[in-house]
Amino acid sequence: MKHELRMGLAALAVGLMTSVMPAKADFWSDAGAKYKGVTLHGVTESTPPSNYIKDVLAPAFEKATGIKVEIETTSWDQMYDKAIKDMEAKTGIYDMVYIEQDIIYAYLARDFLVDITKSLKDDPSLKAPEYDETHFTTFANYFKNADGDLFGIPMEAFIKLYLYRTDLFNDPAIKEAFKKETGKDLVPAKTHEEYTQIAEFFTKWGKDHNLELWGTTAQAHTGHPASWYEFFESIAPTFGVYNWGIDASKNYSASVANGGTMNSDKAKAALKYWLHLRDIAPPESPASTWTEVGTTFAAGRAAQGLVYGENAAWIAADAEKSKVVGNVGVALPPLAPGVMEDAEAGKGYIGYYDGGAFGLPVTSKNKEAALLFLQYIGQDSVQGDWAVAAPRITNTATYDDPKVIEMDKKLNGYYTMLKNDGKLFAGAPPYPFHAQVREATAPIFYKILLGEVSSDDGLDQMAAAAEAELKNLGYRK
Amino acid sequence: MRSNRVGWLMLAPTIAILGIFGIVPFLYVLYVAFHQWNPFGANPYMIYNGADNFRRLVFDNEFLTSIAFTLKFAFFAVVSEVILGYLLAQLFMREFPGRGLFRTIHTLPLIVAPIVVGSVWRLMTTPSIGIIPYLLKSWFGYDLNIGRDATMAFALTVIMDIWHWTPLVTLTLLAALVSLPKEPFEQAQIDGANRWQIFWHVTLPMIRPAILATVFIRLMDALRTVDEVWMLTGGGPGAATRYLGLHIWKIVFPKTDYGYGSATSIIVLYLTLVMCWLLYVALVARRDQKRPS
Repeated sequence: MKHELRMGLAALAVGLMTSVMPAKADFWSDAGAKYKGVTLHGVTESTPPSNYIKDVLAPAFEKATGIKVEIETTSWDQMYDKAIKDMEAKTGIYDMVYIEQDIIYAYLARDFLVDITKSLKDDPSLKAPEYDETHFTTFANYFKNADGDLFGIPMEAFIKLYLYRTDLFNDPAIKEAFKKETGKDLVPAKTHEEYTQIAEFFTKWGKDHNLELWGTTAQAHTGHPASWYEFFESIAPTFGVYNWGIDASKNYSASVANGGTMNSDKAKAALKYWLHLRDIAPPESPASTWTEVGTTFAAGRAAQGLVYGENAAWIAADAEKSKVVGNVGVALPPLAPGVMEDAEAGKGYIGYYDGGAFGLPVTSKNKEAALLFLQYIGQDSVQGDWAVAAPRITNTATYDDPKVIEMDKKLNGYYTMLKNDGKLFAGAPPYPFHAQVREATAPIFYKILLGEVSSDDGLDQMAAAAEAELKNLGYRK
Repeated sequence: MRSNRVGWLMLAPTIAILGIFGIVPFLYVLYVAFHQWNPFGANPYMIYNGADNFRRLVFDNEFLTSIAFTLKFAFFAVVSEVILGYLLAQLFMREFPGRGLFRTIHTLPLIVAPIVVGSVWRLMTTPSIGIIPYLLKSWFGYDLNIGRDATMAFALTVIMDIWHWTPLVTLTLLAALVSLPKEPFEQAQIDGANRWQIFWHVTLPMIRPAILATVFIRLMDALRTVDEVWMLTGGGPGAATRYLGLHIWKIVFPKTDYGYGSATSIIVLYLTLVMCWLLYVALVARRDQKRPS
């Protein structure tokens, strides 16, 4: 009797499971059925995480739902150009746009984006069972409004970190030579002085040994904002100059005279430090954006450098593209005294936490279908393979994925660093005038790079230009 | 009367297209030019500000520098293209082995999109990885670094433009040369004119309309060049290659200063018209006035 009861209960359980499971598994096909024949159009920057969406996630979504997805991957400039034009002119070409963390405040100020949280609450039939906003890392907070509603599904998040060549740093002959020359052990730098010393040593080492090797990378393009970003987002903060040196609480002041720090002594010291590094970096540096910096490091031309995390995986693990596979170490950037304490206390940060999300323009003509796609790429289940293909983590569960743990070993602990120390880094300041101030000051910055104006005078001019632009825009009274 | 109606009817599609895609946007740009409008400003709406944007232009060093660089670029590029294009057209007038193949290869740059041309030239000129710096270093010991050397960056943008657009000039002048009657040349030879005299007094006057049309087209293109230069130098180093098209693009798109960008566009359009008119007066109208009736 007992046996029969057990059998009966087991049959009931199996019956229940089979009746419930298909319903869950079929959510995508059921939800997608209404939008069959719809083609979603997205535009994004051509980066490894975006390419994964285009090559893997979009076809998988199409297979699951019958909704076609066309993702356009293009250059950073073109991506913004196309997305902003589309949203501004309300043409409704794009159903998904890439939102880099630094532009979200401008988009929110212009009401360009759909409130994803609210939309899913308003129409629960669109809510995918495996999608949960609470599963995202704290990076998602950058894409929320004051009420905590999400306006973009995080799709890439990484820190700009200090990469160094382990093969060079562990080479006995090099270590001995470094010790002889400096009296110090060759280990990743913790301070700017140490970093400079290592950079100078390797540039000289490369020259003396007729090697194509330099001591550091430098993202120092003389006509592209990449150089401006490297300074204000990665170098200046390590000297204690935060938020580009603009103090929003003091009437958006940039100059020291008005309460800002853009032309402070710390900023001037930071710029001198970086310009010196630029001078001992590989000759391509004045024409290097973030892409070329990754390529330079992967080609084995630099012993150390600040490199965007999105490039870390292929540099460290893809032998088809990189010459330094297995020889890449990761560390936190070198800092001035007091900066780490600021970061730990939440008063500052030690470097740039970059990333972006996929948002849904209010002008989209296929909002419901696009919401399905956005949830699809936000599920925990798709994150592991995505993180292995491109080093980005946006969901907390991804850190525990066995594939990611394995990858973390290959990357010498990059993911562990992202998990443990990510809080010390910060995205761009919450300014709706991001590109405007950058473009107002960048021409002066390029003059500094070319030596047409001294770094001290140049920063003074930049602070004045920033304040003038902010006044022109109506933020500064 | 009837034929007039038919004529207007035939012209109607062209006028409609011109109106929708030419006149209406122009009027809109003109309207915006008299407003302060930055959608990312504290006040994102259009505010009428009279001629402020135009006044601002007069004192804008970046704009004035950009005009100077653009005129220099247009002069070197267009003059080189016309001379080189004419020489190549003359070459293609002659019979030589492989002429057809050479002509096809020579025309290929025309079918490449400007953005691709810029990318390819960037790859070829990037220090350390590009073939051009490599060859210059190996053969002449010269370090080409367009990230630092403003003169070289400028020269490369001119060379790239010449590479891309000389075939257009060649094709236009070749068509003009092929269509010339033989009699005036034979007559000049009989009269004992040398090659230079034939070129100056016979060929040049006869192909002048074709040269003029080509110069106008190339001049207007050169004054608004954006994509190729953007890819190659990004406008740098500094502002050395920030030509007018790129300058306007930077004002309108990254800076989203629509009012000021529109005013700049209007002034650039005006400058282009004035330059073309001056060229026309210098090369055509004055000569026609001198011609005895």
